[in-house]
Amino acid sequence: MAEVALSIRELAKRYGSVEAVRGISLDVAVGEIFGLIGPNGAGKSTTLECVLGLCTPDSGSILVRGMDVRERASDVKAIVGAQLQASGLPDAMTPRQALGLCASFYRRAASPDELIGRFRLGDKADARYASLSGGQRQRLALAMAFVNEPEVVVLDEPTAGLDPHARRDLHELIAAQRSAGRTIVFSTHFLEEARSLCDRVALIDRGVLIALDAPEAMIARSASPPRIEVRTRPGLGETDIAGLPAVAGFSFDGSAWRIGTTAVNRTVTALAALVESRGAELQDLQIHRPTLDDVFHELTAAGARRAP
Amino acid sequence: MILRGYLYHLQLGLRLNFASKQALVYGFAVPLFFVVAFGAVFRSGTPPLLHQMSQLVTISILGGACFGMPTAMVAERERGLWRRFRLLPRATVPIVASTLTARFVLIAAAAVLQLVLARLVYGTPFPQYPALFAAGYAFAAFAFLGLGLLVAALANDVPAVQALGQCVFLPLIMIGGVGVPLAALPSWARAVAGFLPGRYSVEAIQAGYTGDDGQHGLILNLAALLAIGAAAGLAGARLFRWDPGHRPSQNARVWILVALLPWVAVGAAALAGGQWRAPAAPADAAAELSAAQIDSIDYRGLPPDESTVTPVAPPPGVDDSAQPARLAALAKGLETWRPGHVPDRTQAIRNLLCVATVADLNEDPLEGSIARTVFMHLFGHFKEQELTQSLAWIILHPDEGWVLTNIPELGIPGDMDQKIVRDRSILYAKKVLGRIRGRLPD
Repeated sequence: MAEVALSIRELAKRYGSVEAVRGISLDVAVGEIFGLIGPNGAGKSTTLECVLGLCTPDSGSILVRGMDVRERASDVKAIVGAQLQASGLPDAMTPRQALGLCASFYRRAASPDELIGRFRLGDKADARYASLSGGQRQRLALAMAFVNEPEVVVLDEPTAGLDPHARRDLHELIAAQRSAGRTIVFSTHFLEEARSLCDRVALIDRGVLIALDAPEAMIARSASPPRIEVRTRPGLGETDIAGLPAVAGFSFDGSAWRIGTTAVNRTVTALAALVESRGAELQDLQIHRPTLDDVFHELTAAGARRAP
Repeated sequence: MILRGYLYHLQLGLRLNFASKQALVYGFAVPLFFVVAFGAVFRSGTPPLLHQMSQLVTISILGGACFGMPTAMVAERERGLWRRFRLLPRATVPIVASTLTARFVLIAAAAVLQLVLARLVYGTPFPQYPALFAAGYAFAAFAFLGLGLLVAALANDVPAVQALGQCVFLPLIMIGGVGVPLAALPSWARAVAGFLPGRYSVEAIQAGYTGDDGQHGLILNLAALLAIGAAAGLAGARLFRWDPGHRPSQNARVWILVALLPWVAVGAAALAGGQWRAPAAPADAAAELSAAQIDSIDYRGLPPDESTVTPVAPPPGVDDSAQPARLAALAKGLETWRPGHVPDRTQAIRNLLCVATVADLNEDPLEGSIARTVFMHLFGHFKEQELTQSLAWIILHPDEGWVLTNIPELGIPGDMDQKIVRDRSILYAKKVLGRIRGRLPD
């Protein structure tokens, strides 16, 4: 691996009888956009809070650019930017004031005006926080995370609660930071978001790291076969479908057939020939390849089966 | 960076405070309302409100430090703002310090407005000793801001701040010498007040007006406030929480005890020194009584003048057969009797009433005539309005001041119980006042 920005080793954190994080280890390379995905309560936020020094791990170590986050907390904070879930500002505070306040604590900081431009807050720079929309508040939170021109940025579910437009808007802003060479670690519920933004993702379930890879590689390892969805008039019979090559299972929902296949090309070619030979009309034909969503469900379901 | 962060947060905190209607109402309108409310009750003082300004300023400090500041801090913590602050490098000291400083400045501004309003409306003079006033304010603010920090650390949410704040606020207002003057409190409450920071704050600030060091002495007052503030501030700092999800640590009770330790120590010191007794009332305290208060005095149930209890001989001319030379000597002796001429007019009148009382309790053969002689002395040596006010004050504040139980210099020996003397002298006070007000026949 290239130079390491963040190194987590055997991280464990317990809240009373709940083991929130159980021995997670991972490395994030410099310049990487790294996603933490997992169901609610998986331990994503606890892991990030430990990285940020907001909670103290029971055991394990966390190094940011080689510095222990507990022993050199102030040095780490100087090079880490963060956006937290549920972190509001006073109603009367303006984005310019909030950015100025954060900037005043750093030796090296971006100017509030530059951040306001970069995160498209120009028309709301002097508006009260109470008057900002959800998307604008998230953009402000993101701007605050970049106020110290950080080497490592930690974002905890930055797009949670946003509408699709605002989410796409934020994706563009996050992706734009990649060019600055920053390391970005973020947690998300949105798997498509992780697939499109992240170089690698870590899947966490019940406090345990259960998969770590590039999104496409993780998808390629999926046990789910590609699916073909077909609708014709008149409809095809079960024996017709069963007779197609490379079929790995099928079902009928009343109007369309869903066909699993181990060789998409062969199955589709044979299916087209079959429809033609029957003089039927092909009304709809779709090919579904496995997604991160499928991988997520496979792995978390397997975890659920393993759990006591 | 620390100084820059401190200054930025300080100025931002002040600006946001002035942008909040709620903060303006609680921080400024309410303290000014208290001035008007106190003025309505105590405006007859000379000068008006002079002896209440330290109470008013203490109320402002108490409200701002133990309600305003922790409410703002806990509300911000609930919003996650303090959690966000925690991500900043070396932010703890500057953020907390600037929060305390901002509140110190805001309360000071409210206090100044109180002084100005009292001056404009009631003619209350500004503090005669500004440096003493500033010192008293600073130490009182230090003490109560420390307590406010502890309240913020202990309260899980804003309603809890209100509950905890009231636990501090109400006792101080009611029996701590802040809302109700110590002189008007029963002795048990005055003893309790010795354990509370309010009375030390009132006395320390009052020194700026009158130059009077107070019952405890200025140094002790300031030391008490310093100790209370330091212990509470230390406990508040140790229990400080950034995160709304975190609950008070398990050793919170230990730190609460640490915070309360100076209260106990100061109170014990006051008790040991006998300093919990009522302070001498200001010379013009009686003048602040309203006509309604004086009219409220009940004369029913007084023993008849010819009774063996608090007898009063008939007026001269009605029956002057019993006017021996001893009474003439007594009348002459009262002219120069020092306890009857102490600077505190009310105490002087109380002393004179004791002459009649001790004679009565001692079953002096001339007890009724001695009382008559004292009455005549009172009528002849005090203006009617002043006599009325002082007698009413003595009746309405029966535990205040001191009483004489043995007056050999006037030929009235005795070794009476103080409580009995005090109770019976009140009866004589009523008999004199009743005659002045036309409520009793003579």
